[in-house]
Amino acid sequence: MSFIELRDIRQRRDGRDILENISLSVARGEVRALIGPTGAGKTTLLRLADLLDTPTSGMVFFDGCDTSASEWVRLEARRRMAFVLQKPIVFNTSVYENVASGLRWRGQGSRHLRERVLEVLEMVRLADYKDRNARTLSGGEVQRVAIARAIAIKPEVLLLDEPTANLDPVSASRIEELIEGIIKKQSLTVLLATHDMAQGQRLADKISVLVNGRIVQTGGLREIFYSPMSREVAEFVGMENILDGMITSCEGELAVIDVQGHTIEAVTDCHSGENVSVLMRPEDITVALTRVSSSARNSLAGTITRTLSSGPFCRVEIDCGFPLVALVTRRSAEEMGLEPGKRVYATFKAVSLHVIRR
Amino acid sequence: MTELWNGLLKALELIVTFNPEVMAIAGLSLRIAVTSTLLAAIICLPLGSLVHFKQFHGKRVLISLIQTFYSVPTVTVGLLVFVLFSRSGPLGGLNLLFTPTVMILGQVLLVSPILVGLTVSALSGVDRTVTDTARSLGASGRQTAFLILKEARFAVMAALVLGFGRAISEVGLALMVGGNIKGFTRVLTTAISLETSKGDWELSMALGIILIIIALVINVVLNRIQQRR
Amino acid sequence: MKLFDKYTGILLGLALFAGLLVAGISCTGETTTTTSSPTATQPPVTTTTPAVTTTPASTDVAPLPAKARFRVATTTSLYDTGLWGYLEPMFEKKYDVEVDILSLGSGAAFEYGKRGDVDVVTIHDKPNELKFVSDNFGVERVPFAYNYFLIVGPPGDPAGIKGMNPEDAFKKLMATGEGTFVSRGDNSGTHSMEKTIWTNAGFNYADVQKAGAWYVESGLGMGPTLNLANEKHGYTLADMATYVAFKAKLNLVPIVDKGSLLLNVYSVIAVNPEKVTVVKNIKMANNLVSFLTSPEIQELIGKYGAKEYGIQLFTPCAGNEPKG
Repeated sequence: MSFIELRDIRQRRDGRDILENISLSVARGEVRALIGPTGAGKTTLLRLADLLDTPTSGMVFFDGCDTSASEWVRLEARRRMAFVLQKPIVFNTSVYENVASGLRWRGQGSRHLRERVLEVLEMVRLADYKDRNARTLSGGEVQRVAIARAIAIKPEVLLLDEPTANLDPVSASRIEELIEGIIKKQSLTVLLATHDMAQGQRLADKISVLVNGRIVQTGGLREIFYSPMSREVAEFVGMENILDGMITSCEGELAVIDVQGHTIEAVTDCHSGENVSVLMRPEDITVALTRVSSSARNSLAGTITRTLSSGPFCRVEIDCGFPLVALVTRRSAEEMGLEPGKRVYATFKAVSLHVIRR
Repeated sequence: MTELWNGLLKALELIVTFNPEVMAIAGLSLRIAVTSTLLAAIICLPLGSLVHFKQFHGKRVLISLIQTFYSVPTVTVGLLVFVLFSRSGPLGGLNLLFTPTVMILGQVLLVSPILVGLTVSALSGVDRTVTDTARSLGASGRQTAFLILKEARFAVMAALVLGFGRAISEVGLALMVGGNIKGFTRVLTTAISLETSKGDWELSMALGIILIIIALVINVVLNRIQQRR
Repeated sequence: MKLFDKYTGILLGLALFAGLLVAGISCTGETTTTTSSPTATQPPVTTTTPAVTTTPASTDVAPLPAKARFRVATTTSLYDTGLWGYLEPMFEKKYDVEVDILSLGSGAAFEYGKRGDVDVVTIHDKPNELKFVSDNFGVERVPFAYNYFLIVGPPGDPAGIKGMNPEDAFKKLMATGEGTFVSRGDNSGTHSMEKTIWTNAGFNYADVQKAGAWYVESGLGMGPTLNLANEKHGYTLADMATYVAFKAKLNLVPIVDKGSLLLNVYSVIAVNPEKVTVVKNIKMANNLVSFLTSPEIQELIGKYGAKEYGIQLFTPCAGNEPKG
């Protein structure tokens, strides 16, 4: 059995299923990201994993123990975990006491306690603030106190709920670095909830996608980002181009798909005659002014309808009989003079397409 | 107005000369009010926490009821305690009527609604996230409750100060169940009431001023303690 | 979430117990720790702070630890004049007993007696005293001192009733409507005395209450009622002891102080243990009756307060009903 295991969880609140049919296994030492849009039920799931709430139905196992056995078992299990809430609050006392609180509740001896608190404060670079009332700190500092308070107890499991959601970009990246350092240094088991897919990508070994109270896909980073199992996951992980069509013929793994009268070739194990969706990432589409003869199987002519700068990239929307979105560097967009009305060719490889059944 | 001025002078005189009877009366006042407030706190803080933390039917009604009892007349509580502890009453065998003990018990009853009610309000003022944070950091139910009480300490302290104020300033109950027995159950308020009816207004005023000074000292001390933490 | 486990319960119980213990100790401590000077039974010394020093401070009384407490309910006038404060230490010393004195209105004193919360009462309300005894709550009514009620009023005497007997004075007040009369209006002993005078003067009291703006009911104690009469330049009926105590603050003088009706008799009645079974101190109660009627104490009662107030406050009557 895995270190943390949730089985057939359903959580109902106010006559609504917040979570349904959830099964989740996290191995010891694994860093798992729970990604999904806001309101998908990530916080609810983390609260169940931390044994703060009990599920309407289903079982939660921690390190092989059924946690529904008794309040004592739950407390003991909870004491091996630490949870940094989405909007962390600090207790109305000094920074030092805040960080010490978890240790005190575990009846930690005073000498060891002091050492540990100072060590952790050093780690989050708040040592100079130890005597300040924690209520006077800024948002980023509060988040650091919350993290220090959580790791002070040397938990086996660290639960993080949107650790950077309420911070400015600079504080957010600092906190992320800090978390990364902690995860790398101490082989913790981590369950991280985030709506920021990139953050999941940066920190996690494995990702579970949560949409509307269900886990729709669990897998490695590559798997989630390039082979989403459903339209919902595809949309969430940034597969902006979703084309519905039908497979007209198959030749081994190479299938010919008819999309609104246009032909697209893709690698798939689906069979001829099946209705499918073709998914592709905007960055996997190259835009050229002439038809290029390359290994790329697909090259479609179209007209640019809109261009949109976004940082160093440029989003180019092309009408090829159906809309396509491509992502090119801003520099190349300028060099090619990409602008609305221009005729271009959208080119993409058969292997960069992901085909799912409808 | 001369009474006020002379009362002030007399209060100073009584304090400076350490008038033994006045000191004994003030001491008893202080001891009874402090004891009853602390006792009430021991009972009411957990009780208030219980009301706050438990979900049950009729909770709102109960809280309204408790708040109604903030304004119960002291004499009414006095009458209740009197009837209970009178020799012909159900607890008459304890022989406690007209003793400081029964005054303390009465004052505990008197200030309990205030302490329970204000404890509930104080705890309600604490962010719900505090509970989650504490539990997630491994606090047991009791540790969580203590933390929340600690978070609400300013409001709880205010409740205690208010309770103490009601205890030390009330006269109806002290007179009724204490009997204003000289050297035994006479406290500042009952002494004031007696001296007023005897026509010694200056002494009454002086005793009143001493009571206010005691309240002042207590408040200053508590404020100091609060600010230090 | 389970916040209150059994340990909290135990803890709470212990704390409560400890608290009660502290409370208990604090009150027993009051009775046992004492003694600063052996001047326990010196007669009261009158100085500039009479209320505090007329009677020896409680801390000067040296009771023995195991002393029984003996409770007396008294009418306020015997207490407020300091008479009880004067006699109490003598009695305590003579019989080696701790006396608790409760100063109350006559009505409350009877009620305390009926409930057995006091062992003996000293009051001044003859009709009710007789009823108390005939209902078997009291053993025997023993008068031990008396003085007079007074009708006091402004020195100018606007109604012109000075020197009359009380019935005639009230008749004239009613007839002229000159000058305000302030009544206690609180069913106290003094108030029932006032009603008796109205009845003897031939009026129905209910009519008196509606007689006009000149008749005011204060609903207050004697002291505050005197103050009210003073403010309104009116008359009122007062017991001598309270009037004397307030005299210095008032611009009111005795207007009517004669007449058998105004007689104010103080009696002592032991609570009957056969009827009120919870009282246990009948022996001490009898001691108090003998004490109050003994020749030496009678003499002291007669002299009490003469020097301080310049007037004889109480006339001793040693167990006999005085005749006005």
